[in-house]
Amino acid sequence: MHIAEGFLPPAHAIGWTVVAAPFVVHGARAVVKEVREHPESTLLLGAAGAFTFVLSAIKLPSVTGSSSHPTGTGVGAVLFRPPVMALLGTVVLLFQALLLAHGGLTTLGANAVAFAVVGPWAGYGAYRLARAAGAGLLPAVFVAVALADLATYVTTSVQLALAFPDASTGLVGALGKFLGVFAVTQVPLAIGEGLLGVLLFRVLTANARPELERLGVLQPTVAPGGAA
Amino acid sequence: MSLAVDDAAWRSAWRRRAPGDKLLLCAGLVGCALALPAWPGSVLVALTAVALALGPARVPARTFGRAVRWPLAFVATGALTAVVSVGDGGLGWAPDAAARAGSLVGHAVAGTAAVLLLATTTPVSDLLPVLRRLRVPAAVVEVAAVTYRLLFVLLESLSTIREAQAARMGHSSVRRSYRSSGALAAAVLTRSWDRARRLQEGLAGRGMETGLRVLPEALPSSRAFLAASAAGLAALVSLGVLAA
Repeated sequence: MHIAEGFLPPAHAIGWTVVAAPFVVHGARAVVKEVREHPESTLLLGAAGAFTFVLSAIKLPSVTGSSSHPTGTGVGAVLFRPPVMALLGTVVLLFQALLLAHGGLTTLGANAVAFAVVGPWAGYGAYRLARAAGAGLLPAVFVAVALADLATYVTTSVQLALAFPDASTGLVGALGKFLGVFAVTQVPLAIGEGLLGVLLFRVLTANARPELERLGVLQPTVAPGGAA
Repeated sequence: MSLAVDDAAWRSAWRRRAPGDKLLLCAGLVGCALALPAWPGSVLVALTAVALALGPARVPARTFGRAVRWPLAFVATGALTAVVSVGDGGLGWAPDAAARAGSLVGHAVAGTAAVLLLATTTPVSDLLPVLRRLRVPAAVVEVAAVTYRLLFVLLESLSTIREAQAARMGHSSVRRSYRSSGALAAAVLTRSWDRARRLQEGLAGRGMETGLRVLPEALPSSRAFLAASAAGLAALVSLGVLAA
């Protein structure tokens, strides 16, 4: 869930925008460099942004009978890397605010920190660690996607706890409350999103191997007989 | 496939007003929603935004109403969690629970209504040139523009594939539903790459070398609109401060 417009006090909204800014600017620089070197990347990056937006429109069946929507942060981080996701994620959040009324403009910075910075970096970090530890692509994708989803909501809870400390137990009490409402309920959904990520990558490795190799997710396979 | 808010923006009576004018008005309303005391400031801002949207901008009430459901669910859950106090004696209400919850809900509803006024009267493609004027690099604005154009194509694919999966019992059990959703995401992703590649080939054939240059639509700024916005915002601020 995105923090709605007007929900954060102005000082917090500004503070989180300042926190998000270096990551988004870094992502923007990466995109500008990429587009300068390969003008055709504009279309591929735009497609990646559109996919991230549309991914959040896929209904994820949940065991409890209700349904939820994937955050897309983990899948995006594995496919397109966190620096690019910082920018694409922020663009997608802006579009979600303007096309779906999810989130807001003054809370864009806070939502960008959770969805476009912490989520992708946590997911990508877990992915690299799992791969370095010898895990296969699919288990690493599961860990990355589930952790990215969870890290996103833990960050949202921290942001809300900082803005609204509990009257008697302060920040710690407030963090417990918000984690209980926004993050613990998210655990089964994070597992669900992890499963969706595994199924997505299973189809992609079977049907879109060249694209995964181009993105660096898979090592290029040497054709039998070597390069001619 | 279309999105209701986007449809409303294209059909709105304010569609041909300068995006910068609408952005100034809505930014002013968001500022008032955040800075003025919730009573009566936020209430006045929310009423103004809704009245402008449903009145002169002729946004369908149904679209506006449906769009605020999601943020309202967050605001209600968030505000309730913020004012519940966890003490030694278990759960209880914070001392000023009603006032704090009212203030939180007021600011958030007013802010959401103000952003929604902008969203339902200004298509995203009109706002992107404004980003360019705010010194956002051209490459970033172009990526955002391609994202905006492609997302409707992909939403259409998503809905068509999902319909086909449902017709083949692809969502008849949780297990099948997961498998279908994975295949759906993969199909949409590969289609997005395919679309991007075909667009690229088409543009390369037309000699694209540096950027996607398009002729921006001329939407002149209106002094009367700006003056009315400034006067209205000034009135809101004075009423909000004096009556608090």
